[in-house]
Amino acid sequence: MPDVFKSTPDRRPKVTQHKHIPNKEELAAYGHTRNRLAAYCYYPDHVNFVGADSEEKIVLLLRRHAITNIPWIFVSILLLFTPIVAFMFGFLESAPVNFSTVGLIFWYLISFAYIFEQFLSWFFNVYIVTDERVFDVDFLNLVYREITDANIDQIQDVTVRVGSVIRTVFDYGDIIIQTAAQIPQIEFEAVPHPDRVAQVLRELRVEEETEKLEGRVR
Amino acid sequence: MELLNLSSQVALILKLAGGLAAGFYIIFAFVIVRQVNKMTETLEVGLESVLRAVAILHLLFSIGALIAVLVIL
Repeated sequence: MPDVFKSTPDRRPKVTQHKHIPNKEELAAYGHTRNRLAAYCYYPDHVNFVGADSEEKIVLLLRRHAITNIPWIFVSILLLFTPIVAFMFGFLESAPVNFSTVGLIFWYLISFAYIFEQFLSWFFNVYIVTDERVFDVDFLNLVYREITDANIDQIQDVTVRVGSVIRTVFDYGDIIIQTAAQIPQIEFEAVPHPDRVAQVLRELRVEEETEKLEGRVR
Repeated sequence: MELLNLSSQVALILKLAGGLAAGFYIIFAFVIVRQVNKMTETLEVGLESVLRAVAILHLLFSIGALIAVLVIL
C-alpha cells in the first residue's frame, strides 16, 4: 500500500536535559541567537535580571512576537509623515512661521516619546524560564512594575493556545501555566514557537522530578 | 492700537502656555529617564547604555524645546 503521508523526521538533536549547558548544535537547534532584539532565545548570552540566583541558568528569554508591534509602528509612521503631508497640502500656510516651527518641534518630540515608550514596553515585558523558575516581568506603565515567578516544580499544567490564521502562519501563541503557587496562573502572551516552549517546560519539569527523586534538590 | 495690544497679549499668553507645556514635557522626559533606569536595573540584556543615552538625549531635546519656545515665540 502506498504511503499516504510521510512526516519529515525531526533531525534536531534531542535535548532533554535543559539544566546542563547545551553544545553549539543543541543551542542552534533550539533557537539560540545573539540578536538582542529577538523575541525567542534559548540560553541567551549576557542576560541578568533582578531576583535571579547566582547558580540559576536562564533557559529561555521570551517576548511578544515582533509582529505584535505592527499596529504601533503603523501609527508611528502616520505620526512622522503627518506634518510633511500637512505642509505639502498647505494646511499650515495660514499659521505664523514661529508657531508652526514650535508646533513641529513638539509634534516630533511627542511622536518620539510615543515610539520610544512602545519599544520599551515590548522590549522589557519579558517572560523568562530558568532551570528553577518561570518569571513574568511586566512594566504596565511609567511607574508600575510587576514581577511574578513560580517554581518549575509547582507547575501543574501547561496549555498552548494558537488561535488565529496569523498566529498559525507566524507560529506564535499564548502559553497558560497553571501553578500551585499563590499566583495560580502565569500567561505568556503571543510568544514565538509556543510548542517548543511548552516542550522545554515539560522537560524541565521532568528534570525537577528526577532531581527530587535523586535527592539533588537545590 | 487696541488691536495691536490684543494681538501682543494673545502672543504673550500663547508664549506662556507654550512654556508651561514645555515645562511639563521636561518632567515627562525626566520620568522616562527614571523609567529606563529602573527597567535596565530589572533586566540586563546588553542594550542598557544605548537606551539610557536615548532617554537622556530625549530629555536634552525637550529642554531645547523649552528654549525654542522662549526664543522663537
